[in-house]
Amino acid sequence: MEDRRIRDIVIVGGGTAGWMAAAALSRFTNNGYTRVTLVESAAIGTIGVGEATIPPLVTFNTMLGINENDFLAATQASFKLGIEFVGWGRPGERYFHPFGAHGHELHGVAFHQLYLRERQRRATPDISAYAMSAAAAYRGRFARPSREAKPPLSSIFYAFHFDAGLYARFLRGYAERNRATRIEGKVVDVARRGEDGFVESITLDDGRTIAGDLFIDCSGFRGLLIEQALGTGYEDWSHWLPADRAVTVQCDLPGPPDPFTRATAHPGGWQWRIPLRERMGNGFVYSSAFTSDDEARETLVANLEGAMRGEPRALSFTTGRRKQAWTANVVSLGLSSGFVEPLESTSIHMVQAGIAQLIAMFPDRRFDPIERDRYNAVIQDIYEDVRDFIILHYHANQRGDSPFWEHCRTMTIPDSLATKLALWRGKGRSFRDNAELFATSSWVAVMLGQNIWPEGYDPIADSLDPDKVAIELERIRQRYAETAEAMPSHAEFIARCLDNRPAMTAAAS
Amino acid sequence: MIADRIRRIVIVGGGTAGWMTAAALVRVMGEVEGLTITLIESDAIGTVGVGEATIPQIQLFNALVGLDENDFVRATNATYKLGIEFRDWTRPGHRYVHPFGFYGLDMKGIEFHHHWLKGKALGDPHSLDDYSLGIVAAHQKRFARPRPDLPNSPLSKISYAFQFDASLYGRYLRSLAEAGGAKRVEGRIVDVVQHGETGFVEAVTLESGAGVEGDLFIDCSGFRALLIGQTMGSGFEDWSRWLPCDRAMAVACESDGDPEPLTRSTARPAGWQWRIPLQHRIGNGYVYSSAHLSDDEAAATLLANLDGPALGDPRPLRFKAGHRPRAWVKNVIAFGLAAGFLEPLESTSIHLVQSGIARMMSLFPTRAFDELEIARFNEQTEREYIDIRDFLVLHYKATERADTPFWDYCRTLDPPEGLAYKLDMFRRSGRIFREHNEIFTETSWLSAMIGQGIEPEGYHPAADLLPDEETLTRLAHIREVINHVAPTMPLQRDFLVEQGGASGEPLLRRAS
Repeated sequence: MEDRRIRDIVIVGGGTAGWMAAAALSRFTNNGYTRVTLVESAAIGTIGVGEATIPPLVTFNTMLGINENDFLAATQASFKLGIEFVGWGRPGERYFHPFGAHGHELHGVAFHQLYLRERQRRATPDISAYAMSAAAAYRGRFARPSREAKPPLSSIFYAFHFDAGLYARFLRGYAERNRATRIEGKVVDVARRGEDGFVESITLDDGRTIAGDLFIDCSGFRGLLIEQALGTGYEDWSHWLPADRAVTVQCDLPGPPDPFTRATAHPGGWQWRIPLRERMGNGFVYSSAFTSDDEARETLVANLEGAMRGEPRALSFTTGRRKQAWTANVVSLGLSSGFVEPLESTSIHMVQAGIAQLIAMFPDRRFDPIERDRYNAVIQDIYEDVRDFIILHYHANQRGDSPFWEHCRTMTIPDSLATKLALWRGKGRSFRDNAELFATSSWVAVMLGQNIWPEGYDPIADSLDPDKVAIELERIRQRYAETAEAMPSHAEFIARCLDNRPAMTAAAS
Repeated sequence: MIADRIRRIVIVGGGTAGWMTAAALVRVMGEVEGLTITLIESDAIGTVGVGEATIPQIQLFNALVGLDENDFVRATNATYKLGIEFRDWTRPGHRYVHPFGFYGLDMKGIEFHHHWLKGKALGDPHSLDDYSLGIVAAHQKRFARPRPDLPNSPLSKISYAFQFDASLYGRYLRSLAEAGGAKRVEGRIVDVVQHGETGFVEAVTLESGAGVEGDLFIDCSGFRALLIGQTMGSGFEDWSRWLPCDRAMAVACESDGDPEPLTRSTARPAGWQWRIPLQHRIGNGYVYSSAHLSDDEAAATLLANLDGPALGDPRPLRFKAGHRPRAWVKNVIAFGLAAGFLEPLESTSIHLVQSGIARMMSLFPTRAFDELEIARFNEQTEREYIDIRDFLVLHYKATERADTPFWDYCRTLDPPEGLAYKLDMFRRSGRIFREHNEIFTETSWLSAMIGQGIEPEGYHPAADLLPDEETLTRLAHIREVINHVAPTMPLQRDFLVEQGGASGEPLLRRAS
């Protein structure tokens, strides 16, 4: 056992992905014999803009033992309860994709099935009225449920908006305290072993050579090790997700930050709006085949809610994934492993999932293919799950106001998504298979939000008395509304967290 | 939607599968206006129900149908079950227990067994069994229900199932189903009426000439597979190349009234023998391969290996391992033996019925019978049969036994793909992954792989986050806690009396 252990882990690139990996690995290989080294160059910029996240990030921070209030203070963070989608079904419409479920099942019958049936009987409120997170978000309120919290407060799930650059800096401090070493320098050469092509070392511009057993490629889009050195190959998904550009800019906040992200569809693409504590992150995502850079920039600037800070920055990308996220002794994380636009705020989660799988499948120096293959299969599944969910947003539109949306509405979609849609269209069935990232309630929110109404509902729903169910649905809605009203405002809650750093939680009701 | 509703459900066959289906349907759908649930059975046709052992998931089913546990235990002569003991499977004289519940304690974010493997590498001689409260308690014939009020005690994580008389269980469920409005029709089915164009089953005709019409037919007719096989022609996939046992010889014997909360499976020259202790007697059976053993030899071996005098003559059973890839065709859904058969080595027969029912509920049709939903049902059902098959084959494949042609065959067979993958993954580095919510957990796979003598070459590197000394200290502490807690649990025979679960059925023989 002894001689096969990984002794040197070398992380190439110090953006969000690199420092997340360094922080997690410095904690999980704190065994007395494994060293973690991160190489980054201050000369190479990182992409980190205002980032929105999803609830598993809370777990990542907890796993590292990070105090959440310290994290908030260090990263300009605000809380996030979901995403508001504006104009995705038809122009002017809006819906909310909340974190956490809609209501709860009654006698084993899924909530959305009862909602679908009730909807055939009367005009019901929008389904978001039955989600605790949405009820709080729309009121600009927030409370963090404690571990002992009872329903409905316990059905609040949350994530954050934060400055990704500050998060990387925060994690750098954590990793360095855990004895990770940072080396400043630019990689100019990669040495590979003759017999199997494994990476043996990298050479920096100052001539230093850094050898390692396991290399983590966090070098961003270019994939310095995974692609440039190992030529792994990239699977291009732009026939399903044609957006390939973004233009981003910060602006002043028009008021206190909302506890949700907003994604607004425009004729040539969509715009994100991420409220941090003291400023707003904005970006416009578009397809260069349908929208010019100038038009994109104009749309972005015309739709800011506060004074622009600095000049808009342009990004280009190709949606898809690295064919083997782990090749030889190189594991790619973040943009070097693939890219899916941030419509559902999954970028940081992909890094986190990669790290979690790497720890689960942590190799020794034999680099057993069975572990690598499993890692790659799991990562492929996660990418494809997210891909299908994002395609749903584009495909299920009734906008008809531009060739771009017309293309999305009529394009062919992956079989996996087609099956999901067909099951939904019949009786509103939605199944979360295996370890799919997005829960049934997420699919329900988007499908109903974009006007895909099933023809029927689950016949099992008829085992419950419709009048009694109607009363119960109304009770749930009112209870959520009352609970939300009793919460502090989002800004007030943040202020309390910053004043009172030791973890502050609410256990009320 | 309303017009499309299923209004008449007809269950064909009243064994365990039939009455489980009826009880569940009544409970879940009994309130649907205008819905009738009819079960057809014939007293003339026997059922296969023998002493049955179950797995913990049955508690979900029992909760669904709303039965009171102590009442049910009393009515079915049931005992509690904390796991299965495997004797002589790895090599003669060897034994291990596949427990319900967990081993030890996860530490440093990784599963307990990596720490155990590390301890072993450091020279700690204790077997995995020593780290399971269920196993230690079972060997002492003790049982208690879990104590969620003591979250830091291993008592909080006790997981259990039952061993009971399956025909009494069927009778018990029948009373629940009939009380809930299910209608029982006595009679033998002599004809099946199908729609001329669609082939959907419209009605079944009884010997008396009476017809029973339905929208949805549930085939619980056992091996005959009256509707799914004979009428619909849904084919059977034969798995006997992996599971060559095709016969069983079953007999009950007297009990000493002090049952262990364990099912026992003992490997024999051409198969294995079950031992299922109920309250008033012990169920026994020898499962064997007819290619390797005659019926007379099987009966003789069985009778020579009973813990008490036999109650009657051994009864023979015949079967073939395998399943129907299409358990749902048009408006016919099959559960139980009509859908497939896997030997009861891991007590999965009743679970397969239960999960079939749950899957039907989650995809409950209308009279339009959506093909996409049917396809999903069939895919998931097949997946479950394959998962169980792979786990069963593990027991035969991973053995050192070379004492008979039967074991030579098993030891050298080519394992199914899924099993080969799990074995590889475990051998290299002690890793186990539970895929697609498969029925057997990581703990079950661990137990059987270690139990059957597979030694991983390594363990998870994160086990080294604990210094060596600390690993050994913590392992010793876990054993200490278990050895301290187990004797605080009551003996099963006392627990049955205290809880009112004792059936009061006279024991035929007292402990001497």
